[in-house]
This record gives sequence, structure tokens and C-alpha cells, in this order.
Amino acid sequence: MNDFTALIARSLRTYLRQPAAIIPGFAIAVFFLFVYNAGLSSVASLPGFQGSYLAFILPVAIVSAAIGGATLAGEALIRDIASGYFTKLLLTPTKRLALIWGPIVAGGIILVAQVVVILVLALLMGLGSATGPGGLLVVLGFAFLWGMAFSGFAVFVALRTRNGAATQAATLVFFPLIFLSTTFVPKQYITSSWLKVAADINPTTYVFNAMRSVLIDGWRAEPLLVGLAVVLAFATVTGALALWQARKATQLS
Amino acid sequence: MTTASGVRSPDVERGILVEQLSRRFGDLKAVDAVDLQIPSGEIFGFLGPNGAGKSTLVKMLATILAPTSGRAVVAGFDVRRQQGKVRQAIGVALQEVGLDPLMTARELIVLQARLFGTSTGAARDTAERLLDTVGLADVEPKKRVGDYSGGMRRRLDLALALAHDPRVLFLDEPTTGLDPASRIDIWDEVRRLNSQQGMTIFLTTQYLEEADKLADRVAIIDHGQIVAIGTPAELKRGLGEEVVELSFETPDDAERAAAVLADATPQCRLGDGGLRCYFPVAAHEVPGLVRALDQASIPLRGLTIDRPTLDDVFLRATGQSMRGSEEHDAGEPPTDAVAR
Repeated sequence: MNDFTALIARSLRTYLRQPAAIIPGFAIAVFFLFVYNAGLSSVASLPGFQGSYLAFILPVAIVSAAIGGATLAGEALIRDIASGYFTKLLLTPTKRLALIWGPIVAGGIILVAQVVVILVLALLMGLGSATGPGGLLVVLGFAFLWGMAFSGFAVFVALRTRNGAATQAATLVFFPLIFLSTTFVPKQYITSSWLKVAADINPTTYVFNAMRSVLIDGWRAEPLLVGLAVVLAFATVTGALALWQARKATQLS
Repeated sequence: MTTASGVRSPDVERGILVEQLSRRFGDLKAVDAVDLQIPSGEIFGFLGPNGAGKSTLVKMLATILAPTSGRAVVAGFDVRRQQGKVRQAIGVALQEVGLDPLMTARELIVLQARLFGTSTGAARDTAERLLDTVGLADVEPKKRVGDYSGGMRRRLDLALALAHDPRVLFLDEPTTGLDPASRIDIWDEVRRLNSQQGMTIFLTTQYLEEADKLADRVAIIDHGQIVAIGTPAELKRGLGEEVVELSFETPDDAERAAAVLADATPQCRLGDGGLRCYFPVAAHEVPGLVRALDQASIPLRGLTIDRPTLDDVFLRATGQSMRGSEEHDAGEPPTDAVAR
């Protein structure tokens, strides 16, 4: 465990030393929260819409912040590869898993800090949680896991391409993941049938559902369990891809 | 398991044992069936021009590059099957310094020591001791490595390689690009580590002087193969006791002279400085050399008698001089460099 905690602490420290890498993603998330809430809140008056639009759109802001966290981890790997420090780490007896977990978990921690700020802002804007503070913790937990899942993908691309521009470009695939979903309106209001299909196969939909269920409906097992299963499956896949590349790095560098 | 010599001592098992080790990159044999036996406690110098395969060999021995074939045992552990144990036992300073520019020197050493299993408190003590050793103790503690000069980074990189008291230390061109004073500091440190801690040191270099001064034994690698191996004195003696250097007005004259002398004295070689000829006793041969050149009407500009250097060994082994390659080319691309 010594090396896991040491590497997470090191990644956190270096992230905080480049605020310019953290702030844009966070600013976009807050921007989404304000603008979508201001511009689309009349959706809440549609017949059959439950809860406040603020609670509905909040998960979108959180997932967009998670993309920022993922970019952080991918860029950190690229930086370490470019400086040669990644090779130095490969030369230590540290588990290869710890080498990629450092930036990924640290990215998740930064994300949680950002989500806390976003939640405070939302509470100030009048957010109510149907499940009280416990539900907000669930939201935080989902944000952390989803951020790690995205980070795993970014780290995979970084290790595979060893190229900063490619890693940045790869994070673009997250945008369809956010927007081809029940992003702005509940599913029953989506008119185009292709978007409904996309929303059904998009894992983000189930993360939105889980977060929204605790904020709007109260404690319901089904959306939480489905959401958790989807998040864990996605994180396992991206994490395994990243680990595979990290092991390969030892053979090719 | 057979070895090149058939014998290997426990000392070699604890040092470095390399058997028929090869690495290909596509069609290129970067390292080609290399055999080495380096007993523990030795300083071994590995000389070669850029792209000869030095860095490729170091990376294989350091477990970050898989061999295509062959076997290597470092500090008693197999580099393929016991990677974790090899890593724990070795310190490595690669040719390309690997430091995070956002961190401070202390942070880097403490993290390095912790990754090798040291407790945080002990890692802090290690950091202070090593910063003192490499002469960085007086640097502003908050200064990030990104603001360090090239020489400071290289010294810090050496400190990182020492953070866990390795038994075997790999230094890949540790003084390339350093000023003469820093170079001598590194030499002193290498000698101290070897004599006081008995550390086995595998050092690659392009500087003949470095190999000559530091290494107990030297190997010369060219085109991925070892072309000469022995103590510096043995290698030089193998050429003859004395060397006569003939210099000419033009390169053209030098080439004509080489052709003229080729029959009479086959131990002459054309280098950048002119023609170098090796003899047991130079004084016996000089009149004949001068006479032959005179008969061929090739004007001689100068003639000096000297002892052979490692450059002569190198010139004879590889057909090229190292002197010319010392000034430029600092980097050795691992993959495409051996295309010849």
C-alpha cells in the first residue's frame, strides 16, 4: 500500500501545481449548471416531469466535470512519458497497477473536491435532495467512480499513443457520452427514435438515472444498483485497458 | 546452461551474467548475441559509438526492455523471470534523465525511496544524505526541478538511482553533456560507491578517458557485438607498446601513405589525425617508415611517438575513431540507430 498512497499523493501534488489544467473543466461544469438551469428550467413544467430542473441537470454538470478529471490523468501520463519520469517509475519494483492508479485516483479526488463545490453552489441555488445528505454522498460516490472510469480510458490512450494531442482528441469521445443521453429532458420527452436508442445503450444514462433518483425520487434500489453495475463494468474495462498498456510499456520502451 | 567460457563464479552470479543476449528491432540487431561476465564489485566500462547498442543492452539488463533471445542474470536474479527482484537490487541512471519538472529534488528522492519500500522518515533522511552527496544540498528547497540546469538534473538523477542503496548500479553515459568539474565529481562518487560500498557499476560511455580512468575492465561494442574486452592496460598492450603517429598536409596524402605502407607495415591505421602505426619498439621502425614515404614522394608534416590509447583500441576494433563522435550526437535513438 505504501507505493499506492505515495503515488496518489504525488499525483495530487502535481495536479495542484498546475491549476491551469484543473480550472477549465471545472468552469465548464459550473457554466453548464447555470446556463442549462437558466435556459431550460421550463422543462420542469412539462406534464409528468417530476422534481426540480436543477436536480435534473446537476448530474450533467457533474459528469462534464468528470471529463476534466479524466483529461488531467491522461495529460499527467503524457507529461511523465515526455519528461522520462514514467521510465524512472517503470524501473522501480512498484506494481504496474500502482503506476496508473496514482494519476487516476488522484484525478478522482480532485473531481470529488470539484463536485463538492458544485453541490454547494447547487444548494445555494435551491437544490433539494429527496434523500437528504445521504443522497448527496451517493452523488459524490458516483462522480468519483465515473471520473475514474473516464480516467482509465484517458490513461489507456495516453500510454498507447504517447502523444498529447491524441490523448486530448480521445477525450472528445466523452462528449457523445454526455449528450447522446437523457441529458436535457427525461426519456419520455425525447422525440427522435435514434436518440432514444443511443440513450439506452449509453452507460452515462444509467449514471444520470442513479444520481437523479436519489435527488428527485428518494431511495430506490433499482436505479442505484443498475447505475453501480454500469459504472463498475465501465471502470473495469477502461482500467484493464490502461493496465494492459502499462505492462506493455515495460516491454517496448 | 552453457556459458561462453564454461565457468562462472558466484561473484559473477551476484554481479552481471549475460549469455547470448540479443535484441532485434525489426530487421536490426541492436544487440547481437552478447556474452558478459562481470563479477560483483567491479566497475565495468562499456564503450561504443552512438547506436552501437549500449543503451539497448542497459535497458534489457534493467528490465525495461524485453530481450529477443538469450539470458541475463543481474544481482542474482533473472531479468525476464524475476523482474521485481532485479529492480529492487539495481539503481539505474539512464542516458535520458527522467525527472518530473513540477516536483522538488527532495520530493523526488523521498518518493523514489518509498517506492523501494523505505519508510517515509527514513526516506527523508536518505534525501538529505544524497542531496549532500551529489552537491545539491544548498539549492533552495522549494525550487522545482524544471528550473534546474542540465548538470543539476543529471546529478539529481544519479541521486535517485542511489535512493535504495542498490547492489548494482547502471550508469548510461552519466557525464555526457557535463562540464569538466561536474564530470570529475561524478567520477569521484562512482569510485567512492565502488570502494566503500562494494557496489558493482556498469557504466556506458563515449568518453575513452572516462573508461580508462574509472573502469576495472572495458568492453567495446560495435554493431551490437562486443569487439574487444579486457582491462584498459591489456587492451592497449594488445596493440603493441608504442604508436607512431604520422600527420600529412592533406587527407589525400594520408590515404596515399596508407596505401604505400599497407604492404610493409600492416599495423598502420588511418584515423582523423593521420596515420597511426603500432610497434613493439617504435624507434626501430621509424627510419623504414620515413624512407618508404620519401621514396613515394609523400611529404610528411609531423611524426610523434606515443603510447597507445583506448582510442587506438577502439579504432582497431571498430575501424573508426571515437574522438570525432564525442563532440556531437548526445542522444542514442534506441531503435533506428544500428542501421548500417
